[in-house]
Amino acid sequence: MSKPAVEVKNLTKVFNTGNPGANVFKKGITGSYVVAVDNLSFKVEAGEVYGLIGPNGSGKSTTMKVVLGLMAPTDGSAKVFGLDAGDVRARNDIGYLPENPYFYRHLSGEETLKFYGKLCGLKGKVLKDRIDELLDMVDLEGARTRRLAGYSKGMLQRIGLAQAIIQRPGLVILDEPTAGVDPVGSRQIRDLILQLKEEGISVFLCSHLLEQVQEVCDNVGIIFKGRMRREGPLEELVSIENRYSFVLENASPKLIKEIETLVEKEKGVTITEKGNPRTTLERLFLKIAGSKDQDEV
Amino acid sequence: MTTFTETKVKIPVLSLSRVWTIAAGTMTQLVRMKTFYFLLIFAVLVAGVGYLDFRLATAASQLETIKKISFGTMDLFAWLYAIVATALLIPRDLEDRTLYTILSKPVRRVEYLVGKLLGVLILIGLSLGLMFCLCMVMLAIKHGDLVSSELIKLSSDPNITQVEIEEQIALINEQGPRKELGVAALASFLKSSVVAAMTILISTFASSSLFTIITSIFFFLIGHAHGMMTDYWLHKTEGNLVIRLATKVMKLLIPDFQLYSFSEGVVTGATIVPAVVWSMGFLTAGYLFIFLLISLMIFMYKEF
Amino acid sequence: MNGTFPKWLKIVLIFFVFGLVRSPFESSLRKQMQETRMLLPTPGHSAMAQMGQSALMGLLGGVRTLVATGYLFDSYRHFDNDDWDANRKSLLLATYLEPTVESHWVDLVWHRGINAPAWLETRSTLPEIEKRILYHEYTRDAIELGEAGLKNLPDSVEIRKQMSEVYKEKIKDPCGTARMYKEILELKNAPMYASRFYGYYLADCPGRERDAYEHLVNLYWEGKQNHLPTLLKKILTLQEELDIPMPLWIPEKDPDARKAVNRRFEKRNRILPGGIRLPW
Repeated sequence: MSKPAVEVKNLTKVFNTGNPGANVFKKGITGSYVVAVDNLSFKVEAGEVYGLIGPNGSGKSTTMKVVLGLMAPTDGSAKVFGLDAGDVRARNDIGYLPENPYFYRHLSGEETLKFYGKLCGLKGKVLKDRIDELLDMVDLEGARTRRLAGYSKGMLQRIGLAQAIIQRPGLVILDEPTAGVDPVGSRQIRDLILQLKEEGISVFLCSHLLEQVQEVCDNVGIIFKGRMRREGPLEELVSIENRYSFVLENASPKLIKEIETLVEKEKGVTITEKGNPRTTLERLFLKIAGSKDQDEV
Repeated sequence: MTTFTETKVKIPVLSLSRVWTIAAGTMTQLVRMKTFYFLLIFAVLVAGVGYLDFRLATAASQLETIKKISFGTMDLFAWLYAIVATALLIPRDLEDRTLYTILSKPVRRVEYLVGKLLGVLILIGLSLGLMFCLCMVMLAIKHGDLVSSELIKLSSDPNITQVEIEEQIALINEQGPRKELGVAALASFLKSSVVAAMTILISTFASSSLFTIITSIFFFLIGHAHGMMTDYWLHKTEGNLVIRLATKVMKLLIPDFQLYSFSEGVVTGATIVPAVVWSMGFLTAGYLFIFLLISLMIFMYKEF
Repeated sequence: MNGTFPKWLKIVLIFFVFGLVRSPFESSLRKQMQETRMLLPTPGHSAMAQMGQSALMGLLGGVRTLVATGYLFDSYRHFDNDDWDANRKSLLLATYLEPTVESHWVDLVWHRGINAPAWLETRSTLPEIEKRILYHEYTRDAIELGEAGLKNLPDSVEIRKQMSEVYKEKIKDPCGTARMYKEILELKNAPMYASRFYGYYLADCPGRERDAYEHLVNLYWEGKQNHLPTLLKKILTLQEELDIPMPLWIPEKDPDARKAVNRRFEKRNRILPGGIRLPW
């Protein structure tokens, strides 16, 4: 556990303009470049959930692809558990779920897991048991023989997550894991991420859905125009040091009045927000959807 | 708990089990994409050949024509299938991002390429096998019919001896279903293998399946002009250095697909020289190796 | 791969080296395959010039046999319409694409030498002189086409057989017919009947009757398998025509009489199922 799951050091990735990677021969002829990632450094410690957040085109996916060995760095390095990201052995410990994954639509959920399991060297009973375990984990037992062409987006995302962890990797890389998924599916994926964390698996995720990152990540890096702008533990980044809040339950109007009076007496202290706390729309939706499910059962 | 700290095992340069997994996946993919439907079209075509208007032909030339149409169509279907099926593989994996999930597993790029090619080759082999069987069955039926009617006709002529009847039947038998025709199917397989490997190479730098298909067909057509290029542009265009040079370059770069048309000769009854067939197999292996090597050179460092 | 040598140059170099290695190998294979007819030869320059787009595409697309078969069926259509020039053109294109396919040449000689003149014979509306000119042109063309076919297929029995038909049926030249069968006889794949036919037609060739007689009599004495009605009748006729001394005549007199004897013999030996021999 001594080595970090991901260690990116001074990573720079430069593309020639147009279509990156599409034409190897053009490199150096057009002479026009775009710096997608600029001197980026960060670490994902073993067992933690790390979120890289940033707007579209900020360099998140490029960074991820370098870590996965799908791209070579122009400068700097990326290591996975101490191995160079380009080393095929590093991918023994990586599970990857791309954004909006399209697996082979002609395969069933079970066949998909079998295919990826075999690629990771699993076979026989070990593979079969692992498939059963994963289908149960991602709640797709009922759809195991259905072809992926008939899966919803959320189901695809969950089977994608299952294939990502088929070989019990030490690191799972998720690219926009809940993009386009409904709130119920999104919650399921979030729960799965937390489950992975409980199992000691490091998670490196990229997202622009900040609330989601906030719910699951231990550490967060904010990337913008290819550069790391802020990085650190989530609690530190999001807490406002000169503010404090507490929520009371069943407090009488009299007690509230007394608290207000007490605060007013203190110089330099002001109440910036008061009233009934509101639930989020997501929580409300999930509550309704959850009770509806129960009714149907 | 994971075992990631202990998994720094050695990974072989080429794992046959991973290659096979990808090959098997490719086969399933192509079968479930219903690419095999072309076999039905072929079956209908071959069955229809027997009903063509042959009133002007002798029994032997009827069989010869049936063979030529069936085996010619088989060859055409095989190379077309090789191009289309192969062109659907890598560009599609890239478009669908399936390639990301495969290459993010401990899979070497060489394994991916070899697996894809192997999958296509096995499917081409299977389809050719099926088409060959269909041709032979059809030919056997037609041959049986023609021999019986010819026997009746010849036996009723008092001026024809038994030996001569046998001679005539032997002439018909020569055009009937013979095991030598398997070499014609083998020729089609060798040709389609080279076509598939060339298509894989093109698809490693192509931007879409359509581009891959068009470019492959273009090179395939040029590959049939080697003989013409040599005869007309290389030997007969005296003095025109540019044309001669361009012809030489083309000949060096593009495979000579015309050589693989020896299936036509086999079908029309040419004597099969085993050494030539072996040489063609050897040449095919060379093409496959070189195309795979260059594909790998491009694909190895390709960024996705 | 990021060295001083660009990757694309390495790739081109590999192609070139492989090309240089395979070129002589492929050339020798091509030669060997063309010699053994495993590979169809490249059409000649004039043939290429006369080829239509589809024929050229067939050549380039590796579907020569299919395009050639298409032309063959095209020739059938022209035959139905009595369009003899179009018929000739279609078949000729088929021979350009597949010069070593015997049946194309045979068809070409047959249509040009037999069917086209036969059609002319039935055209009562054509002036006699024009008919004669065309008739001569068709038959001469058939023989020339046959000879062109023999250049590609020197061992062909079928082309010679078809040419002999033209000589016999339309040119009415038994000497030419016999010459064709003589050529067939010299081939190692000559059919058995060629020897008899040579004798039959030689018998009709003025001045060659004695050669024909000797040839046919030799065949007769080779064995009973040759004692066929036509052969017997030819010998009997020649014996009389050439005043062959009676002691040298072949013992058989009338093939029809022999048939009658055979019929009587068969009747005598009629056997019923179960091996019961009938006495009458």
